[in-house]
Amino acid sequence: MIFNIGDNIVSPLGWTSDENWCSVLEGKSGGRLCIDSLGVPEPFFASLLDDDELETKFLQLRHSQDVNYTKLEKMAIISVADALSVSGISPQSDEVVLILSTTKGNVELLETSLTHDRAYLTYSAQRIADYFRIPTAPVVVSNACISGCAAQVTANRLLHRGGFRYAIVCGVDVLSKFIVSGFQSFKALSAEQCKPFDAHRTGLNLGEAAATIVYAKDRKDVRPDCPCACLVAGAICNDANHISGPSRTAEGLTSALSQILASVDSDRIAFVNAHGTATRYNDDMESVALSRTGLSNLPVNSLKGYFGHTLGAAGILEVILSTRQLQHHTILRTLGCEEPGTVQPVRPTQKQESTDKSSFVKMISGFGGGNAALLVSLETPNSVKKNNLAEVAPIRVLAQDLCYDGLWVRPDGSTWQPEIADPKRWMSELYRQLDLNYPKFFKMDKLSKLGTLAAEMVMRHVGQATDELKSDWAVVCFNRASSLDDDRSYQNTIADADNYFPSPSVFVYTLANIVAGELAIKYRILGETSFYIAEHPDVMQMERAFADVLDLTPARFVLGGWLDFDNGHCSVRLFIVSRSNDEKLPRFDEMILE
Amino acid sequence: MEHLIEELKKEIIEVLNLEEMTPADIDENAPLFGEGLGLDSIDALELIVLLEKNYGIKLQNANEGKEIFKSVRVMAEYIKEHRTK
Repeated sequence: MIFNIGDNIVSPLGWTSDENWCSVLEGKSGGRLCIDSLGVPEPFFASLLDDDELETKFLQLRHSQDVNYTKLEKMAIISVADALSVSGISPQSDEVVLILSTTKGNVELLETSLTHDRAYLTYSAQRIADYFRIPTAPVVVSNACISGCAAQVTANRLLHRGGFRYAIVCGVDVLSKFIVSGFQSFKALSAEQCKPFDAHRTGLNLGEAAATIVYAKDRKDVRPDCPCACLVAGAICNDANHISGPSRTAEGLTSALSQILASVDSDRIAFVNAHGTATRYNDDMESVALSRTGLSNLPVNSLKGYFGHTLGAAGILEVILSTRQLQHHTILRTLGCEEPGTVQPVRPTQKQESTDKSSFVKMISGFGGGNAALLVSLETPNSVKKNNLAEVAPIRVLAQDLCYDGLWVRPDGSTWQPEIADPKRWMSELYRQLDLNYPKFFKMDKLSKLGTLAAEMVMRHVGQATDELKSDWAVVCFNRASSLDDDRSYQNTIADADNYFPSPSVFVYTLANIVAGELAIKYRILGETSFYIAEHPDVMQMERAFADVLDLTPARFVLGGWLDFDNGHCSVRLFIVSRSNDEKLPRFDEMILE
Repeated sequence: MEHLIEELKKEIIEVLNLEEMTPADIDENAPLFGEGLGLDSIDALELIVLLEKNYGIKLQNANEGKEIFKSVRVMAEYIKEHRTK
């Protein structure tokens, strides 16, 4: 359990959480039809931040003129600055950690140079941390659309087990030709205001925003004049079904909801704030999850009609405004929903409703098959289920392999080196040597191919390269380049105006966590799938993330480690780890990763 | 028509990365989705791009693809009738 001690939203509807709250209460939407915008040839309906206003706001900040920042970084800095000022804490302390949630960072810079170093997500995170002189290393969560909620789960873990007192959780994404054309190629965008949970819904709207919550570990850090809101529980589960389509049976979301509902008496839940993207499949899937968990009778709302889908910011922005709903005893209406119609009947709000209950459920799902659920409450529960902190056994390595530019060391210690240098060709060669018989492999980007090859070898080593359901397994991966290799390929499909054919099968891989989703699908792993971006493979960071998943979720085994592919170079250190007293197995904390 | 079917098979193998298949492996009368080649929703979207890029046919709605992508032959017939390049 962690406590919100200050928050902010920067969006077309306002520059603070309160301004945004007032706008949504009045039923305002940031959405508009954008024609000849962002260099996208076809019109789209989206909620875009005014660049001139952003510049004016940014110049009002103290150190704003020191360095050249991108739009994304400016939005994040404005948002974090305001949230910090509300919280009253100083960020210049080793008790503070910045957690950045973003799906695509500065990806639009690939338009000017495919090798732009500012397109790396850690670069942006470090610039934002440096602006506030935060001395600790920022953590970057990139888990597609669930990033914002996943970042709050990470905050909960870092505050309780990572030695920090405050976590600044900031989610941000800007819209660009890259992102808009990709969603257009998916035929996922609505040409008009989106209609979440409506029978005649027409697809999603995108939006730009930055949103920040400053979380504190202790209740005593909540200022006496502020209403207290706490994140009570959070869970992440994979569908193990498809990298872009939600599970028709809502497998992962149902599991995530079931886990958090164990922490609350459901009579206390005022409403469910859904992802509610207004695509046919997402809203249907959410209705199935609500039905399977017995929540169909609660009011459910979606904020996408006000802001659009704000990607990495969504999970944070929506938690902030849902907390406001509790504090003001008002459940917002689902803007755009006029005639509810989903595969399972649910209760989307069609007007503002009042409530005197003290908790809400946030749910969100995304590419890569990830689903997250959070429980937020205005009361501090008296008896929260105590996390089992007793670390009964060290984390040990059941299997590992490594690869550097094609040279592999397999789990049995033998090596394999390709005769051909071209990664695409040697990956196919290794696929055939392993006799993988998984035609989907050839559709993957190189990062996912690399992950599949590495995973197949370790999973075979422990006799688990099977399609049996693995509900006690999780996937936790790290890399430096995110999906930049695939981002560059996708950029090439939209760069030339005379040869502009955005490719959906390339776009779907432009998220780092897709490889984690591919591994979940191949081995039917139903536990948490998480992806973090880091400068280097760091034993301590990985061990902490593995331990969190092993100790705080139902997972007993983690398939995870470092999977990076960038500019033709690859580096892999993939492990299967578990807590074990078997002294014949090496301890993970004794690994040397560099 | 047979020439177009052959050309289409090659294009499908290339854009959908059906690396281990040859045109002879694809039965032009068999369903493309479901059992047939094991294609999925992303493949369907990629076939929509193929229609536009190679034949100048623009589908507004992904659902239109359902009828057109029944088999390679149906697809070839549709292209023959609607192509603009």
